[in-house]
Amino acid sequence: MGLIRLVVLGFIGLSVVYFAISIFSRSIRREKLEKEWDANPPEGGDMATRATYIKEGMAAYESGFRKKLIVLVYIVPPLFVAAILYLTNAQ
Amino acid sequence: MRILKIILKALPLLFVFGLLHYVLPQHDIARVTSTEVIRQDFTSFNRIFYAQADSGAAEHPTRDIRFAYTERQKTFLFGFIPRDARGVMVYRNEDTGWIWPPYFKFDSSDLQAEAAAAVSVDGAEKWVVITHYGWRNKFFSIYPNAIGVREISGPDVRIIPWFNLFFFAFMIVAYFFIRAMWRQFRERSVDPLLQDAGEVWDKVDGHADEASAKARGVFGRFKAWLATWRKK
Repeated sequence: MGLIRLVVLGFIGLSVVYFAISIFSRSIRREKLEKEWDANPPEGGDMATRATYIKEGMAAYESGFRKKLIVLVYIVPPLFVAAILYLTNAQ
Repeated sequence: MRILKIILKALPLLFVFGLLHYVLPQHDIARVTSTEVIRQDFTSFNRIFYAQADSGAAEHPTRDIRFAYTERQKTFLFGFIPRDARGVMVYRNEDTGWIWPPYFKFDSSDLQAEAAAAVSVDGAEKWVVITHYGWRNKFFSIYPNAIGVREISGPDVRIIPWFNLFFFAFMIVAYFFIRAMWRQFRERSVDPLLQDAGEVWDKVDGHADEASAKARGVFGRFKAWLATWRKK
Protein backbone atom coordinates (compact mmCIF):
# COMPACT_ATOMS: atom_id res chain seq x y z
CA MET A 1 0.00 0.00 0.00
CA GLY A 2 2.82 2.34 0.89
CA LEU A 3 4.37 1.87 -2.53
CA ILE A 4 1.11 2.74 -4.29
CA ARG A 5 0.76 5.86 -2.15
CA LEU A 6 4.33 6.89 -2.91
CA VAL A 7 3.85 6.37 -6.64
CA VAL A 8 0.56 8.29 -6.76
CA LEU A 9 1.68 11.19 -4.57
CA GLY A 10 5.08 11.28 -6.27
CA PHE A 11 3.47 11.38 -9.70
CA ILE A 12 1.22 14.26 -8.68
CA GLY A 13 4.11 16.17 -7.11
CA LEU A 14 6.44 15.62 -10.05
CA SER A 15 3.65 16.63 -12.48
CA VAL A 16 3.35 19.96 -10.68
CA VAL A 17 7.12 20.43 -11.00
CA TYR A 18 7.02 19.32 -14.64
CA PHE A 19 4.34 21.82 -15.63
CA ALA A 20 5.93 24.65 -13.65
CA ILE A 21 9.29 24.06 -15.37
CA SER A 22 7.59 23.74 -18.80
CA ILE A 23 5.86 27.10 -18.41
CA PHE A 24 9.04 28.71 -17.10
CA SER A 25 11.17 27.34 -19.92
CA ARG A 26 8.64 28.42 -22.57
CA SER A 27 8.47 31.90 -21.08
CA ILE A 28 12.27 32.20 -21.03
CA ARG A 29 12.44 31.11 -24.66
CA ARG A 30 9.77 33.60 -25.77
CA GLU A 31 11.49 36.45 -23.94
CA LYS A 32 14.79 35.52 -25.56
CA LEU A 33 13.20 35.56 -29.04
CA GLU A 34 11.58 38.94 -28.37
CA LYS A 35 14.87 40.41 -27.20
CA GLU A 36 16.73 38.96 -30.18
CA TRP A 37 14.29 40.62 -32.54
CA ASP A 38 14.22 43.93 -30.68
CA ALA A 39 18.01 44.17 -30.43
CA ASN A 40 18.49 43.73 -34.17
CA PRO A 41 15.23 44.22 -36.12
CA PRO A 42 15.67 43.46 -39.85
CA GLU A 43 14.90 46.07 -42.55
CA GLY A 44 11.18 46.67 -43.03
CA GLY A 45 10.22 44.42 -40.15
CA ASP A 46 6.92 45.36 -38.50
CA MET A 47 4.88 43.88 -35.64
CA ALA A 48 3.45 41.20 -37.92
CA THR A 49 6.86 39.89 -39.02
CA ARG A 50 8.00 40.08 -35.39
CA ALA A 51 5.04 37.93 -34.38
CA THR A 52 5.84 35.39 -37.11
CA TYR A 53 9.49 35.33 -36.07
CA ILE A 54 8.51 34.59 -32.46
CA LYS A 55 5.92 32.04 -33.56
CA GLU A 56 8.47 30.18 -35.66
CA GLY A 57 11.02 30.29 -32.87
CA MET A 58 8.48 28.88 -30.42
CA ALA A 59 7.50 26.14 -32.89
CA ALA A 60 11.19 25.19 -33.15
CA TYR A 61 11.38 25.08 -29.35
CA GLU A 62 8.25 22.93 -29.02
CA SER A 63 9.73 20.27 -31.29
CA GLY A 64 13.30 20.68 -30.02
CA PHE A 65 15.52 18.63 -27.77
CA ARG A 66 15.62 21.08 -24.86
CA LYS A 67 11.92 20.70 -24.22
CA LYS A 68 12.30 16.93 -24.06
CA LEU A 69 14.94 17.33 -21.36
CA ILE A 70 12.20 18.42 -18.94
CA VAL A 71 10.99 14.80 -18.93
CA LEU A 72 14.04 14.15 -16.72
CA VAL A 73 11.89 15.51 -13.89
CA TYR A 74 10.03 12.19 -14.02
CA ILE A 75 13.17 10.08 -14.42
CA VAL A 76 15.77 11.44 -11.98
CA PRO A 77 13.80 11.28 -8.68
CA PRO A 78 12.79 7.61 -9.11
CA LEU A 79 16.42 6.77 -9.89
CA PHE A 80 17.38 8.64 -6.75
CA VAL A 81 14.82 6.68 -4.74
CA ALA A 82 16.18 3.45 -6.21
CA ALA A 83 19.73 4.46 -5.23
CA ILE A 84 18.72 5.26 -1.64
CA LEU A 85 16.71 2.05 -1.47
CA TYR A 86 19.74 0.06 -2.57
CA LEU A 87 22.24 1.85 -0.33
CA THR A 88 20.02 1.54 2.74
CA ASN A 89 19.18 -2.12 2.37
CA ALA A 90 22.29 -3.63 0.76
CA GLN A 91 24.77 -5.14 3.20
CA MET B 1 5.62 44.26 19.93
CA ARG B 2 9.02 44.11 18.24
CA ILE B 3 10.02 41.10 20.30
CA LEU B 4 6.76 39.39 19.33
CA LYS B 5 7.51 40.04 15.65
CA ILE B 6 11.00 38.59 16.01
CA ILE B 7 9.58 35.52 17.73
CA LEU B 8 6.94 35.07 15.01
CA LYS B 9 9.65 35.27 12.35
CA ALA B 10 11.98 32.93 14.22
CA LEU B 11 9.35 30.23 14.82
CA PRO B 12 9.10 28.94 11.22
CA LEU B 13 12.89 28.95 10.94
CA LEU B 14 13.16 27.05 14.19
CA PHE B 15 10.57 24.56 12.95
CA VAL B 16 12.43 23.97 9.68
CA PHE B 17 15.72 23.60 11.53
CA GLY B 18 14.14 21.11 13.94
CA LEU B 19 12.58 19.14 11.10
CA LEU B 20 15.88 18.91 9.20
CA HIS B 21 17.78 18.05 12.37
CA TYR B 22 15.32 15.26 13.02
CA VAL B 23 15.12 13.85 9.50
CA LEU B 24 18.61 14.25 7.97
CA PRO B 25 21.08 11.40 8.51
CA GLN B 26 23.77 11.76 11.14
CA HIS B 27 26.72 9.53 11.91
CA ASP B 28 27.83 8.38 15.32
CA ILE B 29 31.03 6.52 16.11
CA ALA B 30 30.00 3.92 18.63
CA ARG B 31 30.45 0.38 19.81
CA VAL B 32 27.45 -1.85 20.28
CA THR B 33 27.23 -3.31 23.77
CA SER B 34 24.04 -5.32 23.34
CA THR B 35 20.83 -5.60 21.42
CA GLU B 36 17.32 -6.23 22.66
CA VAL B 37 13.65 -6.27 21.73
CA ILE B 38 11.13 -4.59 24.03
CA ARG B 39 7.44 -3.90 23.66
CA GLN B 40 6.47 -0.28 23.25
CA ASP B 41 3.09 1.04 24.35
CA PHE B 42 2.90 4.31 22.52
CA THR B 43 1.13 7.37 23.82
CA SER B 44 -0.55 9.81 21.48
CA PHE B 45 2.40 12.13 22.06
CA ASN B 46 5.38 9.90 21.42
CA ARG B 47 3.69 7.87 18.67
CA ILE B 48 4.83 10.31 15.95
CA PHE B 49 8.46 9.70 16.98
CA TYR B 50 8.18 6.06 15.95
CA ALA B 51 7.80 4.59 12.49
CA GLN B 52 5.06 2.16 11.50
CA ALA B 53 5.02 -1.61 11.80
CA ASP B 54 7.55 -3.57 9.73
CA SER B 55 6.92 -3.46 6.02
CA GLY B 56 4.27 -6.01 5.15
CA ALA B 57 3.07 -6.43 8.75
CA ALA B 58 -0.17 -5.24 10.33
CA GLU B 59 -0.33 -2.07 12.40
CA HIS B 60 -1.31 -2.49 16.07
CA PRO B 61 -1.47 -0.07 19.01
CA THR B 62 1.53 -1.74 20.62
CA ARG B 63 4.37 -3.74 19.18
CA ASP B 64 7.86 -5.04 19.81
CA ILE B 65 10.71 -2.81 18.75
CA ARG B 66 14.35 -3.72 18.20
CA PHE B 67 16.92 -1.70 20.10
CA ALA B 68 20.68 -1.44 19.99
CA TYR B 69 22.53 -0.31 23.11
CA THR B 70 25.82 1.41 22.47
CA GLU B 71 28.62 3.43 23.91
CA ARG B 72 29.46 6.27 21.59
CA GLN B 73 31.98 9.05 21.16
CA LYS B 74 30.49 12.36 22.18
CA THR B 75 30.76 15.31 19.80
CA PHE B 76 30.13 19.04 19.63
CA LEU B 77 28.25 20.88 16.91
CA PHE B 78 26.23 18.07 15.30
CA GLY B 79 29.18 15.73 15.09
CA PHE B 80 31.64 18.14 13.49
CA ILE B 81 33.93 18.48 16.51
CA PRO B 82 35.00 15.20 18.13
CA ARG B 83 35.43 14.94 21.88
CA ASP B 84 37.26 12.51 24.09
CA ALA B 85 34.21 11.87 26.25
CA ARG B 86 32.01 8.83 25.80
CA GLY B 87 28.41 8.25 26.73
CA VAL B 88 25.68 5.70 26.21
CA MET B 89 23.17 5.92 23.40
CA VAL B 90 20.19 3.75 22.59
CA TYR B 91 18.96 3.35 19.03
CA ARG B 92 15.70 1.90 17.88
CA ASN B 93 15.72 -0.10 14.69
CA GLU B 94 12.53 0.15 12.67
CA ASP B 95 11.52 -0.02 9.01
CA THR B 96 10.72 3.39 7.62
CA GLY B 97 8.98 1.79 4.65
CA TRP B 98 7.95 3.71 1.57
CA ILE B 99 6.93 7.10 2.82
CA TRP B 100 8.43 9.06 5.70
CA PRO B 101 11.22 9.77 6.39
CA PRO B 102 12.35 8.73 2.90
CA TYR B 103 15.10 6.29 3.85
CA PHE B 104 13.28 3.34 2.27
CA LYS B 105 14.55 1.06 4.99
CA PHE B 106 13.17 -2.48 4.97
CA ASP B 107 16.07 -4.37 6.47
CA SER B 108 15.55 -3.87 10.22
CA SER B 109 16.03 -7.55 10.98
CA ASP B 110 19.26 -7.71 8.96
CA LEU B 111 20.49 -4.55 10.61
CA GLN B 112 19.75 -6.07 14.00
CA ALA B 113 21.80 -9.09 13.02
CA GLU B 114 24.68 -6.84 11.96
CA ALA B 115 24.46 -4.91 15.22
CA ALA B 116 24.42 -8.15 17.20
CA ALA B 117 27.47 -9.36 15.27
CA ALA B 118 29.30 -6.15 16.16
CA VAL B 119 28.75 -6.49 19.92
CA SER B 120 32.05 -6.11 21.74
CA VAL B 121 33.36 -5.89 25.29
CA ASP B 122 35.75 -3.48 27.01
CA GLY B 123 39.34 -4.10 26.02
CA ALA B 124 38.39 -5.64 22.66
CA GLU B 125 36.26 -2.86 21.22
CA LYS B 126 34.84 -3.16 17.73
CA TRP B 127 34.01 0.32 16.51
CA VAL B 128 31.22 1.02 14.08
CA VAL B 129 29.68 4.04 12.41
CA ILE B 130 25.97 4.14 13.09
CA THR B 131 23.98 6.17 10.59
CA HIS B 132 20.75 7.33 12.13
CA TYR B 133 18.09 9.99 12.18
CA GLY B 134 15.88 11.18 15.02
CA TRP B 135 16.28 12.31 18.59
CA ARG B 136 16.83 10.69 21.93
CA ASN B 137 14.57 12.02 24.66
CA LYS B 138 14.45 10.34 28.04
CA PHE B 139 11.30 12.08 29.27
CA PHE B 140 9.17 10.96 26.34
CA SER B 141 11.04 7.67 25.69
CA ILE B 142 11.93 8.42 22.09
CA TYR B 143 15.00 7.10 20.30
CA PRO B 144 16.90 7.80 17.09
CA ASN B 145 16.32 5.22 14.39
CA ALA B 146 19.46 3.43 13.19
CA ILE B 147 19.70 3.20 9.39
CA GLY B 148 23.02 1.48 8.88
CA VAL B 149 25.95 -0.01 10.77
CA ARG B 150 29.42 0.01 9.21
CA GLU B 151 32.55 -1.39 10.83
CA ILE B 152 35.59 0.87 11.10
CA SER B 153 39.15 0.30 12.27
CA GLY B 154 39.16 2.74 15.18
CA PRO B 155 37.25 5.52 16.89
CA ASP B 156 39.31 8.28 15.20
CA VAL B 157 37.90 8.14 11.67
CA ARG B 158 36.82 11.34 9.97
CA ILE B 159 33.29 11.14 8.61
CA ILE B 160 32.28 13.34 5.70
CA PRO B 161 28.50 13.80 5.55
CA TRP B 162 28.20 13.48 1.76
CA PHE B 163 24.46 13.19 1.70
CA ASN B 164 23.95 16.32 3.78
CA LEU B 165 26.44 18.30 1.67
CA PHE B 166 24.59 17.24 -1.46
CA PHE B 167 21.23 17.96 0.16
CA PHE B 168 22.08 21.52 1.16
CA ALA B 169 23.72 22.23 -2.21
CA PHE B 170 20.50 21.02 -3.84
CA MET B 171 18.40 23.21 -1.53
CA ILE B 172 20.43 26.30 -2.47
CA VAL B 173 20.12 25.53 -6.19
CA ALA B 174 16.40 24.88 -5.78
CA TYR B 175 15.96 28.17 -3.93
CA PHE B 176 17.57 30.20 -6.73
CA PHE B 177 15.69 28.25 -9.39
CA ILE B 178 12.31 28.87 -7.74
CA ARG B 179 13.21 32.52 -7.26
CA ALA B 180 14.05 32.82 -10.96
CA MET B 181 10.75 31.14 -11.85
CA TRP B 182 8.83 33.48 -9.60
CA ARG B 183 10.56 36.57 -11.05
CA GLN B 184 9.87 35.42 -14.58
CA PHE B 185 6.23 34.85 -13.68
CA ARG B 186 6.01 38.34 -12.12
CA GLU B 187 7.71 40.02 -15.04
CA ARG B 188 5.78 38.28 -17.80
CA SER B 189 2.35 37.60 -16.28
CA VAL B 190 1.59 39.70 -13.22
CA ASP B 191 3.21 43.04 -14.07
CA PRO B 192 1.48 43.44 -17.48
CA LEU B 193 -1.85 42.70 -15.78
CA LEU B 194 -1.15 45.30 -13.09
CA GLN B 195 -0.16 47.78 -15.78
CA ASP B 196 -3.46 47.21 -17.61
CA ALA B 197 -5.37 47.56 -14.38
CA GLY B 198 -3.46 50.77 -13.65
CA GLU B 199 -4.41 52.21 -17.04
CA VAL B 200 -8.07 51.34 -16.52
CA TRP B 201 -7.94 52.93 -13.09
CA ASP B 202 -6.39 56.11 -14.49
CA LYS B 203 -9.19 56.29 -17.06
CA VAL B 204 -11.90 55.88 -14.41
CA ASP B 205 -10.16 58.43 -12.24
CA GLY B 206 -10.01 60.86 -15.18
CA HIS B 207 -13.76 60.51 -15.85
CA ALA B 208 -14.49 61.10 -12.20
CA ASP B 209 -12.34 64.25 -12.15
CA GLU B 210 -14.10 65.53 -15.27
CA ALA B 211 -17.49 64.85 -13.76
CA SER B 212 -16.65 66.53 -10.47
CA ALA B 213 -15.28 69.59 -12.31
CA LYS B 214 -18.64 69.99 -14.08
CA ALA B 215 -20.63 69.43 -10.95
CA ARG B 216 -20.17 72.89 -9.42
CA GLY B 217 -23.11 74.32 -7.52
CA VAL B 218 -26.57 72.82 -7.11
CA PHE B 219 -27.66 73.45 -10.69
CA GLY B 220 -24.28 72.39 -12.02
CA ARG B 221 -24.56 69.20 -10.05
CA PHE B 222 -28.04 68.56 -11.50
CA LYS B 223 -26.73 69.20 -15.03
CA ALA B 224 -23.80 66.91 -14.39
CA TRP B 225 -26.23 64.22 -13.23
CA LEU B 226 -28.27 64.69 -16.39
CA ALA B 227 -25.07 64.54 -18.40
CA THR B 228 -24.31 61.10 -17.02
CA TRP B 229 -27.44 59.85 -18.86
CA ARG B 230 -26.29 61.25 -22.17
CA LYS B 231 -24.64 58.95 -24.63
CA LYS B 232 -20.90 59.43 -24.65
